[in-house]
Amino acid sequence: MTLQTTFYLSQILGKRFFSPEGKILGIIRDFQIDTTTLSGPDPEPIRPRVIAAKVKVGNETKIYDFATFEVKKFKRKLNMTCYEVHEAANETSPNCLWLAENILDKQIVDINGRKLVRVNDVRMVMIPSGTYAIAVDVGIEGLLRRIGIGRFLETALDPVNVSIPGKMILWDDIETVDFSNSNIKLSKSSSRLRTLHPSDLADIIEDLDRTTRTSVFASLDEEQAADVLEELEPKAQIEIAESLPVEKMADLLEKMPADEAADLLDVLEEDKAIKILDEMEKGSSEEVRELLEYPDKVVGSIMTTDFLTFREDMTVEETINEIRKVHPEPSNIYSIFVTDKNNKLVRAISLMELIIANPSLKLKQITKQKPMTVFDQDKVDSLAEMVSKYNLLAVPVINHDMEMEGVVVVEDIVEDLLNRRKTR
Amino acid sequence: MAFAMRRRSIWRNIALFAAILGPGIITGSVDNDAGGITTYSVAGALYGYNLIWTLIPSFLVLVIVQEMNARMGVVTGKGLADLIRENAGVKITFFIFIGLLIADIGNTTTEFAGVAGSLEIFSVSKYISVPVVAFIVWIMVVKGNYKIAEKIFLVFSAALLMYVVSALMGKPHWQEIGMAIIRPKMKMTTGSIEMIIGLIGTTIAPWMQFYMQSSVIEKGLKIRQYKFILLDIIVGCLATVVVAFFIIVACASTLNVNNVVINEAKDAALALKPLAGAVSSQVFAFGLFIASIFSATILPIATAFYVCEAFGFEAGIDKKWKEAPEFYWLYTGIILLGMIIILIPNAPLIAITLWSQILNGILLPVVLVCMILLVNNKKIMGIHINRPIQNIIGWGSVVILVGLSITLVLMPLLT
Repeated sequence: MTLQTTFYLSQILGKRFFSPEGKILGIIRDFQIDTTTLSGPDPEPIRPRVIAAKVKVGNETKIYDFATFEVKKFKRKLNMTCYEVHEAANETSPNCLWLAENILDKQIVDINGRKLVRVNDVRMVMIPSGTYAIAVDVGIEGLLRRIGIGRFLETALDPVNVSIPGKMILWDDIETVDFSNSNIKLSKSSSRLRTLHPSDLADIIEDLDRTTRTSVFASLDEEQAADVLEELEPKAQIEIAESLPVEKMADLLEKMPADEAADLLDVLEEDKAIKILDEMEKGSSEEVRELLEYPDKVVGSIMTTDFLTFREDMTVEETINEIRKVHPEPSNIYSIFVTDKNNKLVRAISLMELIIANPSLKLKQITKQKPMTVFDQDKVDSLAEMVSKYNLLAVPVINHDMEMEGVVVVEDIVEDLLNRRKTR
Repeated sequence: MAFAMRRRSIWRNIALFAAILGPGIITGSVDNDAGGITTYSVAGALYGYNLIWTLIPSFLVLVIVQEMNARMGVVTGKGLADLIRENAGVKITFFIFIGLLIADIGNTTTEFAGVAGSLEIFSVSKYISVPVVAFIVWIMVVKGNYKIAEKIFLVFSAALLMYVVSALMGKPHWQEIGMAIIRPKMKMTTGSIEMIIGLIGTTIAPWMQFYMQSSVIEKGLKIRQYKFILLDIIVGCLATVVVAFFIIVACASTLNVNNVVINEAKDAALALKPLAGAVSSQVFAFGLFIASIFSATILPIATAFYVCEAFGFEAGIDKKWKEAPEFYWLYTGIILLGMIIILIPNAPLIAITLWSQILNGILLPVVLVCMILLVNNKKIMGIHINRPIQNIIGWGSVVILVGLSITLVLMPLLT
């Protein structure tokens, strides 16, 4: 007797199952799996167990408990036996999915490949402790198997030593997202989407249809949602903004850098943008409002107003301690901007220069060079040339009193360049 | 006061309409591609005004079908290929998309034939024109200027209105046209049924259903804009039918009257020269060129996209070649095949056109049945399922199309 039987979902759906005496009991329509993760210090590989089967008996659709079922393989033929019929209740918890209804032929997220794929089949195994879904088949082989010509092509290609490429993804590495045909909500706690980089997640969300997009976005926590929103294409941003209540949008925008928030509000309809601004905290909304005033082609439109300045008589050690305490975003600390007692910008020191400098030196002693600066009304075009010529990561924006108004960081300059290339 | 209010709301409505305008009108313009122009010309030359009446039911079905596409796109946010794959299973999906792929390779060939034919009127050899145009089209998509190209072509597609000029130059008999529409006189023969299927098949090409639905999603339209979406569709369909009407009239009032037999759109342009003057001939050829290059740009990329969408390969012009190899190879393959077929000396172009149209004719009812089932599925469409009248016209068209196809197959056996 074999201890384990492996098979594909497509080989079982629509097949008959029998009583131990060999009587036909019905036809298999679907399997329900429980995707609950085993919690523990080192969670087992996630293998959702089959808990119930949707079957057709005569003209009726029933749900049977799967514990009394057995799948056996005999000379490449699958045989399914049900030892005792137990009707089960229709479990509607978000952790319980139907394989055929919610997963087969649907789009899922391939976490390692960071993209959307379509499920052609599901690989399953029966072992003494139960029947489990192990992996999804997203390759051409699975497609051909479903069409019914897989075996044929394999035999035909065998003599020439060509095999059809198959691609399986283990259950640990996928996340189901498409529930548009059913009432299931994407579960918040177990989502593996949170392991993705916000930029990758944004790319995936852009590829989803509108309904799924909204539900995936809603399943993210606020921190991650703000990061993803920042990375989305304007068109997707608009759709998300329209699907969310004003208060929620305001909360997200407060978490974003002011320049990104301003960019986003810029693409929204005006009355919607005003409503969101009114809902935001006063401090952040004012910053954003100021940035929104700038026309598209001037430096002010891409600068951020989140920056740190340090007094010229602080020592290197004090400065580094201060930075540790404030714990700024990486892009806010490319350069250390040094001001005198009148708040005028006098130096710009790179993080590198700061780290290698003698800890007891005063900031004004590190370099004698005057910082490269721009005015907020300067043309954006001048920036790219400047950062490339002087190897800058951040350019301070000043007013005519030499006081700092903001900073343009290199990624915003690159983004601006890319956008201009796209629209040309 | 009331007047001012009224006026503002009119302007507001026009602005709203302009903002959502596009999917219906672009789809309508692509509809009059090289294959379409050929079919309309041949129909006009062979049957005179007698087949003009088919444009009326075609228009009706076209509006109903595209409205369903637009509604599905707006409600679900999913492409038709997605919906078919997710709800009809792999086998039907496979059949539809393999069929669609083959038919579209044929259609692309026809578009290149249109490019070749129209430029031959201006004495450019097809061995130069076709590779150059194919390369321009290919590089445009791969280098990512597709969206801009689409807009430029949309403006150019106003050139299709040249057929109105071409038709008027042939001094058509309006009274006869009127009579032919109200009381068409014609015998049902294998030839005429083939022609009718061809006319309907080219007007309601299956791939356009996929294109329409994607552009509605691409545009991000909402159900509250429904009124305008419908208007856009009606304008687009009207444009299609009006252009078709004038092409048939142009050929009927010159070629048919003089018993000139033609096989290709190019023949029509050539034949117009002695009958209606060189200008009329060149106008006809220029229209054909614009229509061909427009569709040759959109058709291969659209086909590659739907096939990938259905089978789960990454697709999209914003992806790099490495990220979506299946998509780009498919796209390149379709263009290459279309181009090579055209360049083979003595290629059976007419047979290719005919067969891709017959394939379209077989696919159309299958796609329509899928669409009607999808659009009536409450799980997918919620409250926006079809109204009875839409179902009656939808199912009616399926029955008539299938009926015509079966008649076509059985006719040779019966006579």
